[in-house]
Amino acid sequence: MEPILFILFGAIAVAGSIMVVTRKHPMASALYLILTLFAVAALFVLRQAHFLAAIQVIVYAGAVVVLFIFVIMLINVPENKLPVERLTALRFLGVAAAGLLILEGAVLARKTTMPGGTAADSGSVQAVGRALFTDYLLAFEITSVLLLAAVIGAIALAKKKI
Amino acid sequence: MPLGNLASVSRFLPELAVTATILLLVAVHVVGKNRQSSASALLSLAGVGAALLLTALQPSMPAVSLFEGMVALDGFAVFFKALTALATIVVIFMSMDSAELSGKSQAEYYVFLLSVLLGMFLLSSATDLVMLYLSLELVSIPSYLLAGYLKGRKSSNEASMKYVVYGATASGVMIYGFSLLYGLTGTTQIAEIGRALATGKAALPLFLAAVMVAVGFGYKIAAVPFHMWSPDVYEGAPTPVTAFLSVGPKAAGFAVLVRFFYTVFASPDGAGGPWTLSSPVDWTLLFAVLSAATMTVGNLVAVNQKNVKRLLAYSSIAHAGYMLMGFVLLTPAGIQAILFYLVVYLFMNLGAFYVVILVANGTRSEDISDYAGLGSRAPFAAVSLAIFLFALTGIPPFSGFIGKVYLFAEVINRGVYWLAVVAALNSVVSLYYYARIVKVMFLEEPAEKAELAVPAFPRALLCLLAVPTLLLGVYWEPVIRVAANSVRLLAF
Repeated sequence: MEPILFILFGAIAVAGSIMVVTRKHPMASALYLILTLFAVAALFVLRQAHFLAAIQVIVYAGAVVVLFIFVIMLINVPENKLPVERLTALRFLGVAAAGLLILEGAVLARKTTMPGGTAADSGSVQAVGRALFTDYLLAFEITSVLLLAAVIGAIALAKKKI
Repeated sequence: MPLGNLASVSRFLPELAVTATILLLVAVHVVGKNRQSSASALLSLAGVGAALLLTALQPSMPAVSLFEGMVALDGFAVFFKALTALATIVVIFMSMDSAELSGKSQAEYYVFLLSVLLGMFLLSSATDLVMLYLSLELVSIPSYLLAGYLKGRKSSNEASMKYVVYGATASGVMIYGFSLLYGLTGTTQIAEIGRALATGKAALPLFLAAVMVAVGFGYKIAAVPFHMWSPDVYEGAPTPVTAFLSVGPKAAGFAVLVRFFYTVFASPDGAGGPWTLSSPVDWTLLFAVLSAATMTVGNLVAVNQKNVKRLLAYSSIAHAGYMLMGFVLLTPAGIQAILFYLVVYLFMNLGAFYVVILVANGTRSEDISDYAGLGSRAPFAAVSLAIFLFALTGIPPFSGFIGKVYLFAEVINRGVYWLAVVAALNSVVSLYYYARIVKVMFLEEPAEKAELAVPAFPRALLCLLAVPTLLLGVYWEPVIRVAANSVRLLAF
């Protein structure tokens, strides 16, 4: 059962992200992004990372993309005035780079055996919470300083004059 | 055995001092009425000064691992903390004197500056991939904001934008490398990664992962071919920020580069010699080529520059190339040479930028042609700049020469002669463009004859930067001893 679900959600995620970068209208891209994020959340569930899956849906699919959509609607660029991309050479390079990355992943997967997976409950809320407040406490606290600097930075950039 | 979270706090005082100052700055700015005052600057000076003092008092022997293995407190970390704190103090003074930032250098500016400092503290001591990535972002994100701090100036916006795009790409590649390393070893502790990889398996994936990680670090130290952002960012950013970026984050980048590769790739007991792991390529050759390319590109492009800031940007790329010479063989002697060079580089590079700020305050220009006749218009500044530029070139009585001697000795002792030859040729090229500025200052007639006033306080600070630049050229023994003692990295 699990491999089938993995292939299904993996395919949805890949197809969704291809749609995100190929759609002309930003709104369509944003909606496909939600689809992709949901599919990735399902992949997390398959890997027993329930907490991460919930956070993925609440924060990314819920809050971040909604903000994107708000901004797109506020700016409200008419369909005929959307910027036209002319950098086709860059696009081909991007596709080539992606192909190289996939090839690399395949080679790595064939050549090496990764160490065994983590314990079955390592993705539960309890396990994540414990790791966050013991082993990774410093990282957790430093993130708050980073976010503080980012918030102040956003205000400083948005204000009319400093 | 790493210390627990609570037990670590008492050994984390410099970082706590910086964090407390950041919070105080925000609080004072929100409550305070007089927003244009220099209160923020003085407060940050006090905070960074306290952090520097606490760092100096920190016992670094024996090395310990703090916060469940997140960061290390060893001689290496203490060295870089002191170095970056010192650079930040000088940059705060520079920011107070800069006309570009006058009226704009408020609490936000210092919050960003101190956040970068906190990031550099952590970056030089991180021993866990999670912490390493996080501290790299803590250095990068406020740096983007600092580069774009002058919102009204187009080049400043462009600098910030380019910095963000290049930075995000590099850190994305780097974290992909981290994920491969984690996949290969099943741990995020760099010491354990080194031990797991010492079995010698998985050479190709390891090579790919290490190259990706090196991209992230190479971007921070602006090594070729990850240097493209730096000239535009250095030119567009406010000059004090440029000075800061060219010294602080670059030093922290070297710290993390050395710590990561030394812990992962050199033998765990630190005695087994360099690059112990088998790999499909010759690491020494790879980094030697990187070093040669970095110094050559930096120096050759610097020759044609007309803007002083841009010239110094390319020269700082070249200096990263020189410093990489100490890294190619991954030996304690080479790392000692890098540490010593970073100290010298701090004084001479910050000094050069400080003169650029003082001249720009008077002339509103950073073009080399506007430096004509500076020798008669502002003799003090001109002589200081000449000292810093000759030190950057590496001419004998100045400290840059001693720094280069140690770097050259490292590659020559280990038989990488061609790199020494390339570096020597590069020094000759650099003499041309540094000396050109000196020539313009002292031999060309100025368009305007009026004297450029340099107030007393900047003069004193210039002296404080120029004296070590000269002194370390004749009496460098204490500093090299400190550097030698600082090559003691935490090993589990």
